[in-house]
Amino acid sequence: MSDWPKGYGVIILDTVDSTNAEAARRADVDQGAFWIMAHEQTAARGRRGRAWANPKGNLAATLVLRPVGPPQLFALRSFVASLALYDALVAVTGRPEAFSLKWPNDVLLNGGKLAGILLETVGRSQALAIGIGVNLQNAPHQAEVEEGAVRPVSLVSETGADVDTETFLTELAAAFAVREHSLATYGFGPTREAWLARAARLGEVITARTVTSETVGTFETVDASGNLVLKTSKGRESIAAADVFF
Amino acid sequence: MTQKKHDSDVEFIQALAELLRENDLSELQVKREYGDNDSLNVRVSRMMQAAPVAVQVPAAAPAAAPAPAAAAPAAAAAPAVDANDDPASHPGAVTSPMVGTIYMQPEPGAPSFIKVGATVNEGDTLLIVEAMKTMNHIPAPRAGTVKRILVEDGSPVEFGAPLVILE
Repeated sequence: MSDWPKGYGVIILDTVDSTNAEAARRADVDQGAFWIMAHEQTAARGRRGRAWANPKGNLAATLVLRPVGPPQLFALRSFVASLALYDALVAVTGRPEAFSLKWPNDVLLNGGKLAGILLETVGRSQALAIGIGVNLQNAPHQAEVEEGAVRPVSLVSETGADVDTETFLTELAAAFAVREHSLATYGFGPTREAWLARAARLGEVITARTVTSETVGTFETVDASGNLVLKTSKGRESIAAADVFF
Repeated sequence: MTQKKHDSDVEFIQALAELLRENDLSELQVKREYGDNDSLNVRVSRMMQAAPVAVQVPAAAPAAAPAPAAAAPAAAAAPAVDANDDPASHPGAVTSPMVGTIYMQPEPGAPSFIKVGATVNEGDTLLIVEAMKTMNHIPAPRAGTVKRILVEDGSPVEFGAPLVILE
């Protein structure tokens, strides 16, 4: 059981529209880095407005962070956040082999979708809001998710680990603080290495899809800027933004 | 990039513009290879009955892109576009701080953040550039009017590419 990390505040709400929306409202008002957790979200959302079901018992939390440095480095928190979530999940289950990472920030449990991470800049201060939803107790039925999406799973159904949201938030916040400290101190190198060591389908053929294009290739690596590198019939392609499909 | 090269690019574009006019063409596109990762793509087009206008298409490697097409042959009152038409060198250009994908709306189906002719305040979101599942809201660096929008929803964007012209 970890302690709450120094230097990070925390706000716990009974109910809110979405923790990322709350982060946007507070980013220019409150100081420093802080987590917002809600027991219930009434308007939970995923990337590009996708629905995100959020029954009680699942984690809904957003970290407001104020990274220094150029904006293209903000996105490296996708790797920091997914690694921290991986660490927290291993801490509560003791089962590292069950979890893997999908570029750039999905955490898979037995190959299923356990969590969602949504990063966005918010407020005039250009703070970074890192929203993290985890199916601790409940996963949506396959019929409720988009066709072709990864099978939704919950932590309790796959591993038997029954963890309450506040306990899990503490593990996640502690793990994040360690991973963020590493990025800030040593740059992206160690984070990249750690991420790649936990990556699913490295060396296998995967598909990266954007609004306008689709790239199929062998997943070679993640480069020093965080781009997905695929080896295709036309050579190497590095991809900054896409949805990955296995 | 050297001044010499800039001058030679401008001469090259001027020569193309001349060619266009002399042969009564409406459009001409040429790619010039200078070496590895260094090329100049020029498309020169004109509206019939109007002055020729030079437009630079972004080269394959933006970091090594040569001089902007600064000096199209001066003709009185070109009606279509300013002669100084490289949007990246426009003083009102807002450029992309990263490689990524453009989104013009906060989420699909919602209204766009901006439209041409709209006035914005400093700090207002112009659009989103997504990289690695991070939605970067690009703020207006100053108050102004949206003169041009140079990117499309869902399209990829390079570092430093002009997004919007604010005046």
